[in-house]
Amino acid sequence: MSLVAQFLSQIQQQVRNQQGDQLRSWLQVEPESPKQYHDLANELRARYSRQDAIDKVVEDALPQQDDLPEGQATAWPGLLAFLKDYLTYWRDVSFADLLGAHQLLSGLVNSCSTAFAHPTYGSMLLQVSMSLSETLARLTMNLNRRPDLTRRLRVVDDDNRKSVAESSAEIIQKIFTTCLTDRSGTRTSKPEGKRVGVYMFANLVLKLLFACRRTQLAKMIFVNIETISPPLSLYPAAQRVTFLYYLGRFNFSNQHYHRAALCLQEVYLQTPPQLVSHRSNILTYLIPSNLLLGKFPSTTLLSRPEAQSLKPIFLPMCMAIRSGNFVQFQSHLAAHEAWLFEKGLLLPLSNRLRPLLWRSLSRKTFLLTYVPPQDATSRKAATLDLSHLLTVATYIQRRLEGWLPGNPTTHGRPSQANPLFMQAIKNTVQSSAETTLAPPPGGPRKLRPNEGLIWGNALVTYEDIEMTVATLVQQGFMHGFVAHSQGRFAIIGAKAKGSPVLAGWPNVWLTIKERRHEDGFDLDQVPGWVTL
Amino acid sequence: MASTTTEPKVAEPEQSTSNEQQKPEQKHLALGEDDEFEDFPIDDWPADQTEAAQRNGETKHLWEESWDDDDTSDDFSNQLKEELKKVEAAKRR
Repeated sequence: MSLVAQFLSQIQQQVRNQQGDQLRSWLQVEPESPKQYHDLANELRARYSRQDAIDKVVEDALPQQDDLPEGQATAWPGLLAFLKDYLTYWRDVSFADLLGAHQLLSGLVNSCSTAFAHPTYGSMLLQVSMSLSETLARLTMNLNRRPDLTRRLRVVDDDNRKSVAESSAEIIQKIFTTCLTDRSGTRTSKPEGKRVGVYMFANLVLKLLFACRRTQLAKMIFVNIETISPPLSLYPAAQRVTFLYYLGRFNFSNQHYHRAALCLQEVYLQTPPQLVSHRSNILTYLIPSNLLLGKFPSTTLLSRPEAQSLKPIFLPMCMAIRSGNFVQFQSHLAAHEAWLFEKGLLLPLSNRLRPLLWRSLSRKTFLLTYVPPQDATSRKAATLDLSHLLTVATYIQRRLEGWLPGNPTTHGRPSQANPLFMQAIKNTVQSSAETTLAPPPGGPRKLRPNEGLIWGNALVTYEDIEMTVATLVQQGFMHGFVAHSQGRFAIIGAKAKGSPVLAGWPNVWLTIKERRHEDGFDLDQVPGWVTL
Repeated sequence: MASTTTEPKVAEPEQSTSNEQQKPEQKHLALGEDDEFEDFPIDDWPADQTEAAQRNGETKHLWEESWDDDDTSDDFSNQLKEELKKVEAAKRR
């Protein structure tokens, strides 16, 4: 009896007895599969080079039967097509050719998904669908790192511009949809049949899309889950945590930082403390989400093992925000730019933390300049002179451009000073009367748009300052109004709060939490997270 | 696999026999998740092994909501103070 015939007779028995686990362990596709699979491939190449030979051997080995004893199953057309593709896969695959292997495996997973959709017997293929999909996902992620190969694919197939990642995700998503639309049980009953696989396949597609940076394609998964999926709580912990991790990251990349924080906080708390690298990965996104909401990691959190690699990145960032120190903030971002970019954190953090820095800077300027009235009964509102804020903002912009603190002209002439440097200082004696800073020796540093206080090397103007304060008032981060004709920010409610600082600069997180939303909008509800 | 009644004749998939045919590029197939969210070593664990069970304990102290900095004696504040003084003086002149 040939290897092929022996193999198929085993499969036939497993199908008859509906042994999903067995089918998974037999229907292997990995290059690391035992030698027998490679022998099988050799036999297929030698004796089954024609497609009709493969068709015949499969059809003979797995006849479709009508009268079946209780509990037994028969082959069905979708299964036969899948097994034919399986044998073809082993006959034709060459693992040295990643693109070719991907194409063959895509076809195989596709026919597996069709077989899986069979209403009566399909569910015996749940495990094999999962293991084949996992291999396809892994292969796709590898290919995604090989633009030299995928570029060729695009040239060959110009009409079909879908990326490898996209097409693989679509195939696995078909299996996900089959699981999701399975009609066994009610929406809230314990998942059975194919519905067991809902989050397993969702997670695999999500992993693939995130690894290949195609995050936006994840939207359909969440929409479908929100519409008909059973509650997440009915599934095992690993699946729950993985799903919420991706839902959190999806919301992060869509600027829904509150929803992202809700998901990721839950993921963090539900992941056992000994899984340090998982928790570290979670904090990589949870800390930024909370930062953007005005919640900083505490010393308790930063002293945990999973936070050790993140502390040098986020602690100085928090310190810069607290003191409104844009100089420290920008140089810290620059020092960690590669890492932040790789994680998709650079743009949100460098742009969206700015309001918090401006808030702190204006608050600090107020603390430095405010003189309380002599008369305690005075009803005059406490104010911040916007020209003071302009002064400190200009100071910061100059520092960003490379101006040096501590005007050296006041400290006598150092004996070994670079003559060019001293000349440069001499040339700008004029400006040194108006600032404590010394101009940059080699001229101002050219700033990229995101590196300047307003926009690159643009001068900070009074209008910029007034607009920035007005924006902060609008966002609720400063409480009061801009008295345009006086050039001041006037604080409202200082008496009631007990101090003008407390009244003028409300707590960031409370402000965000208490913002008014449309009726019926629940801030704590995350679409895609089915709780029912 | 081993406990089945039907004895596998062709392949014994779960017996990890060393495979001499393995080529170098095959290793790449298995590699590659980098720092992506790895699969968990186990599928399920009880809630009491997690912090979610003790929601009102230490987990409340993981985040600081009040972090405003009232210190005006640090270097940065002093630099701003000096700058304000100098610019104000220049304005009066």
